[in-house]
Amino acid sequence: MYQTKGNFIRPEMKISSLIFENPSLLLLMEHLEMDFIVHEKTVKQLCATNNISEELFLIFANLYNGFQPTEHQNLTREDLTTIIKFLKNSHNYYENEKYPEIRSYFEQLHEQNNSAEIQLIEKFFDEYFKEVKEHLHYENRVAFPYFYRLLKNEPSGNTEKQEKYSVSEYQEHHTDIEFKLNDLKELLLKHVPVKNDRVLRRKIITSLCELENDLNIHSTIEETILIPLVSKIEHDE
Amino acid sequence: MNREIKNIAVLEPSQIVFEGLSNVLSKSGQQFHLLRTDDLNEIQNLAALGKLELAIINPSQIQNKNKEFLSAKKNHPGIVWIALIYNFFDQQLLSLFDKVINITDSGESIAEQIKNLSNSEIHNNDVEHEQLSEREIDVLKLIVKGFSNKEVADNLNISIHTVISHRKNISQKTGIKSQSGLTIYAISNKIILIEDFAK
Repeated sequence: MYQTKGNFIRPEMKISSLIFENPSLLLLMEHLEMDFIVHEKTVKQLCATNNISEELFLIFANLYNGFQPTEHQNLTREDLTTIIKFLKNSHNYYENEKYPEIRSYFEQLHEQNNSAEIQLIEKFFDEYFKEVKEHLHYENRVAFPYFYRLLKNEPSGNTEKQEKYSVSEYQEHHTDIEFKLNDLKELLLKHVPVKNDRVLRRKIITSLCELENDLNIHSTIEETILIPLVSKIEHDE
Repeated sequence: MNREIKNIAVLEPSQIVFEGLSNVLSKSGQQFHLLRTDDLNEIQNLAALGKLELAIINPSQIQNKNKEFLSAKKNHPGIVWIALIYNFFDQQLLSLFDKVINITDSGESIAEQIKNLSNSEIHNNDVEHEQLSEREIDVLKLIVKGFSNKEVADNLNISIHTVISHRKNISQKTGIKSQSGLTIYAISNKIILIEDFAK
């Protein structure tokens, strides 16, 4: 489904076939604000029409197909703008689509299985979601504005007292978020007793896995593409 | 279970060989993150940041640098040092490495060898989860009540180190790391009663 062992994507491949092979590429295109009507376009043509660098698109798309990015990337300042657009849109997807979806499953689950464990799981999910939101807001509030300033060549030490962006804080959040999501999956699949809630439980676990997959890609992009690029730009100043 | 990404530093001058290795590993089912480096120093810098598990090195890159290499090994005992060879090297040089992999091996075999070396913990994780021991259950009951490691230690008359090691085993056996997660685990498995869990 999501974690595919898809083909390694190359510029001359037809995007429509790639999407049929791994539909989560649609999510990538959505995050990049690309048009879904792809006709018979190749990846190369798609990138050209949408004004997105081919190299960056290939790194992202291959990540969705299960290939980790390699070390040497020739990304530029323009790519940084695209990366931030992608990250912002994916934040929006988590906060306004994926989490409310899982939340509503929990509400329905609650009606069918009112056991103490389910109530606790629901609470656990809410706390987890709160933490995720804090992290997303941290990025929106601190990290992204910092990157934008960097792009506009503004000195980082601004007049206002801006919260300092820190790579280590970034990574710490990520680890914590991954742990809790994993705990939720483990509990629902292995421990909390089922009570007429198979359908909903399947929906929740599936959604959690979809979310997890996208979050993993998200943090790989931040940690192995964004951060090195930002430090390269910082260095070139 | 194999979701965790393993970092590997690669010191290999040929781009083709590097890309080939990266491709072979990407098909292994284990996620690896390959960091290409230019010299031993760079590997040491990466190692100092932690999280580095393996270093794959073309031995020609450390020829005449034995001393440097040995000190790197000594400074970072957690790393497995692998020689990736495609021509003849002096046995003495190769003996400095923990493992020698020949480039003419099949892709699967190379991936398998690296996977096996990357972390034995993963294999432990795959083993059928055993039941928690009585002592671990004692520790779990107190963790769930919100006790700190120190409080658990005092309560059970054991050292903090022992508590930490029990906690690690509990998380490994149950697959659950957070305190709230463990609470739900304990209730589901009737280790504690919901009534005991105030709030």
